[in-house]
Amino acid sequence: MDSTEEKKITTVVEVIDGGPLKITGNIVFQDIKRDITGQTGEMYLCRCGRSCNKPYCDDSHKR
Amino acid sequence: MEKDRKKFSGGRRYRNEDITVYWKPDACVHASYCYRELIEVFDPGRRPWVDMSGASTDRIIEVVNMCPTEALSWKWNDNERNLEVGPEHTNHIRFRRPELMGDEAEEPEAWEKPVSVRIMYDGPIIIKGDFILKYDGNTKEMRGGLISLCRCGASNKLPFCDGAHRKTGFEDI
Repeated sequence: MDSTEEKKITTVVEVIDGGPLKITGNIVFQDIKRDITGQTGEMYLCRCGRSCNKPYCDDSHKR
Repeated sequence: MEKDRKKFSGGRRYRNEDITVYWKPDACVHASYCYRELIEVFDPGRRPWVDMSGASTDRIIEVVNMCPTEALSWKWNDNERNLEVGPEHTNHIRFRRPELMGDEAEEPEAWEKPVSVRIMYDGPIIIKGDFILKYDGNTKEMRGGLISLCRCGASNKLPFCDGAHRKTGFEDI
């Protein structure tokens, strides 16, 4: 195998139509306002602005 | 006498006695660091929006370096000093995104880096790194990518941020 071959990308950022942002893979996360940093493998982030648990989705977009 | 404010290809430049700040509006992803940190210099509601007399050179450099894209960048007016500028001093593309310069190879292990997801203060989600982006039925492979996604729901460019959070007063609570 060619050593210069590009590595397979494993992190997926998916914009769910009418729903949150789903991110899976190797994630380093930082929330500036809440001063949170961390690493995770999966997260669902609010895109509608109405979640009561920002930055995460709490299904408020359905209401 | 040179004017303090001039156009250049793709943007404008603003000078004080020490440095020139370059602004490329097309590269802006509305991360909002500049005006949240230093409204005295970077005020989007004022024309011209950059006032180089609003803070010290050191402070302006500090805030320009927070810009996650090349929308804001800076150089010393004395070219000799620019030769001493290293990656620790500047956000310039040559140091942050060498692959885009074409003449310096990216280190192989760089591809192993985790994807950075940052929730901006009352602003968008900024995602940087190598990832697959899926939206509206599209699947795009992003290598060394940088995107800014709307978090307030008011953008006219959904799913991307267009700066609407500032106009609607989106508060992250």
